[in-house]
Amino acid sequence: MSSHRLASPPGGTAVRPSGVPLRSRPAPAGTRLAWLYLVSRRVPAAAAVIAGCAAGLRIALIAHWDAYGALQLPLVFETLAAAAVPACSASPFGEPERVAVRRLPWLRLATALALSALAAGALTAAGTGAQLSGGTLDVLRNVLGIVGLGLLCAAAVGASLAWAGPTTYLLVGVYALYTQWHGPALTTPWVWPARPPHDVGAALYAGLVFVAGTAVITVRGARDPSGERG
Amino acid sequence: MIAPQGLRARQPSRGARRWPAPAAARLMRLELRHNAMPWLLPLAIALFGVLTYAKTLAMPPLWHVRADYTQSGLVLDFATSVAGAAAWMGSREARRRVTDLLETVARPRFTRLLASWAATSCWAVAGCVLCLAAVYWATSLRASWGGPLWWPAVVVVASMPAFAALGFGAGLLVPSRFTAPVVTIAAFFVVALSTELIVGSQSYWQISPVVSAPWDVGADPGVATFYPYLPDLSIAQLMFLAGLTVAVVAAVTGLPRGSGPGGLRVAAAIAATAGLLASGTAVALAGTGTLDAHGMIAIPALHDAAGDRPLRFTPVCSRTAIPVCLNPAYEAYLPAAASALGPVLSEIAGLPGAPVRVVQAAAIYRQGPGNHVSISLAGPVISGRPPVYRLLLPDQLGGLQLSAGQLTAALRSGAGPSIVASVVDNGPGASAAQRAVAAGLLLAARVPYRSLAAGTVSGVVAQGTPVSRSVQSRGRRGAGAGQGLIPAPVFAAALRFKALPASVRRAWLVRNLGALRAGRIALARLP
Repeated sequence: MSSHRLASPPGGTAVRPSGVPLRSRPAPAGTRLAWLYLVSRRVPAAAAVIAGCAAGLRIALIAHWDAYGALQLPLVFETLAAAAVPACSASPFGEPERVAVRRLPWLRLATALALSALAAGALTAAGTGAQLSGGTLDVLRNVLGIVGLGLLCAAAVGASLAWAGPTTYLLVGVYALYTQWHGPALTTPWVWPARPPHDVGAALYAGLVFVAGTAVITVRGARDPSGERG
Repeated sequence: MIAPQGLRARQPSRGARRWPAPAAARLMRLELRHNAMPWLLPLAIALFGVLTYAKTLAMPPLWHVRADYTQSGLVLDFATSVAGAAAWMGSREARRRVTDLLETVARPRFTRLLASWAATSCWAVAGCVLCLAAVYWATSLRASWGGPLWWPAVVVVASMPAFAALGFGAGLLVPSRFTAPVVTIAAFFVVALSTELIVGSQSYWQISPVVSAPWDVGADPGVATFYPYLPDLSIAQLMFLAGLTVAVVAAVTGLPRGSGPGGLRVAAAIAATAGLLASGTAVALAGTGTLDAHGMIAIPALHDAAGDRPLRFTPVCSRTAIPVCLNPAYEAYLPAAASALGPVLSEIAGLPGAPVRVVQAAAIYRQGPGNHVSISLAGPVISGRPPVYRLLLPDQLGGLQLSAGQLTAALRSGAGPSIVASVVDNGPGASAAQRAVAAGLLLAARVPYRSLAAGTVSGVVAQGTPVSRSVQSRGRRGAGAGQGLIPAPVFAAALRFKALPASVRRAWLVRNLGALRAGRIALARLP
């Protein structure tokens, strides 16, 4: 985290090089701290990635795709948007932050929920008026499930490599969609992207994974990067 | 100065002093130990096991089929992990904020980064080789003929450094925590969905390493068994991958200021340019490829005319009344073929004009408009004197792979009526008596009734009729034969003929087959 980014939170008192303050009334401490938290987790960058995904999906939906492409395309963008969420669970401060900050779990929970909602909302909006395979329910279920998977991976192996879970699951999901034509079909609800949008079992499993991931990341946070590879 | 006892450096052993490990080797060892790829390797191998290995082993034990499917699957299974891990490694110095610190070390930036990329590639290649070895070993245990196809394996191995280079370059240029996931998904997107752009056999997109065979034909059992495997597309892909790897690695590690001495940067610029040229040439070559008659991509500039000569082999034959002889690669199909055709062949064995042998023949492939490919028997159904019936196994027509039971049923209802029709000359315009005798023989051989109509209307044509294939209709199989019910009087005569003892049927056929074929026997004259 670079210091110059932390020096000017929204509503905060930024200072000109000459030393003259730009604003006289500082924002409440809570807002400033929340903003600092979001910046330290690269949440604005994650929001930009999610927005990029939505834009990419919208552009891709303009093109003509055959059955394979039309089914697999949304899942690719859903996975990328979902993979951005656990990436924001990495803390640059580690243990000192865990000790010093009181409301860290709530901040983690709020961040995960807000980014998940943003991802699902942005992709749904991108598919509005276009032929988005599966529709809104499919997007919601897939995004939330894969976010949960990513959060569980972040808690297990650290946020830096948490993308490996969603991307591996993407391959499994794409393969399951492929097996709808080339049997034997994978029909387990654990592979929810291959299930119909209204399938209750798949929605339950995806929801279960999301709840588990959110709960774990709220309580424990992502694994500290002290021992990470690379 | 004498150092205190506790601070004295440990003396290297005599061996170590005499053979000091080169600094590059030590650096490489360090990079191998601190690489992210070993953490992702189990994931990639597990993916391969679940998605590719299991399906490959369920395929017929034909080298071409399994090698082609393994190439596509393995590249997809590993591409995402390799690109992601390489992106993560590429962004390491910036993430750890040691870029400035490392500017001061003795080794130039080029060497450090090259070692990091090479270590990632090494792990990926090792994992790939392990997976390839598993598939090839399992295939060698069951394949009855032929040998391993190395070109697809080499393309898989060569694609690992290329994906590592692309990921590494992205991580180096945009060192962010989001780079690895973005690169991972982008790699999948490009590799998997770029094939959507392939139209026909002349497509530049066939340069993608995930394309192992003509995209509209796929891993077809009829390919590379009667004619040699054509490595044209693999050569172009290798050229592309090698060029891409050299260009990206040279550009991102050797070109930036501070990468090394001036000479090194010039060499990097030359290497990057050469790599780009090689890649561009390979893409252009891939665009000139066409589907050849044997179901493979032939690139004129890379084509070896020796690849057009048929392979020599000793067929494996059944012990049926008329031997059914297959290409030895299809030995596993022989029991099903013998059991399907045996009863029919017993009915016609020894009759005048009956084939002395049923021989498996090669298929011929023709590219149609768009993504349509037609696959049919190469040459006539009956050839030679004494006549030999040339058979095309259902699996050679592409589409879904058949189980032994399905293959038996398909042969019994497809080739069986066709063989009988070739004996009694039951083609379009056949007399009622010819149709009745053909149907009677088939009923005696326990061929299903629904196949009789197809066989009696255009049985001979059925084997030679092209079967159209396309991406949209993959998995569907054209019947190829005409449809139509047998008229009641004809069917009644067929039932009468079938009810005769086999010896009486045979004796009648020996006496009257010539007249029957000439259309001189009326339905009422049938016994």
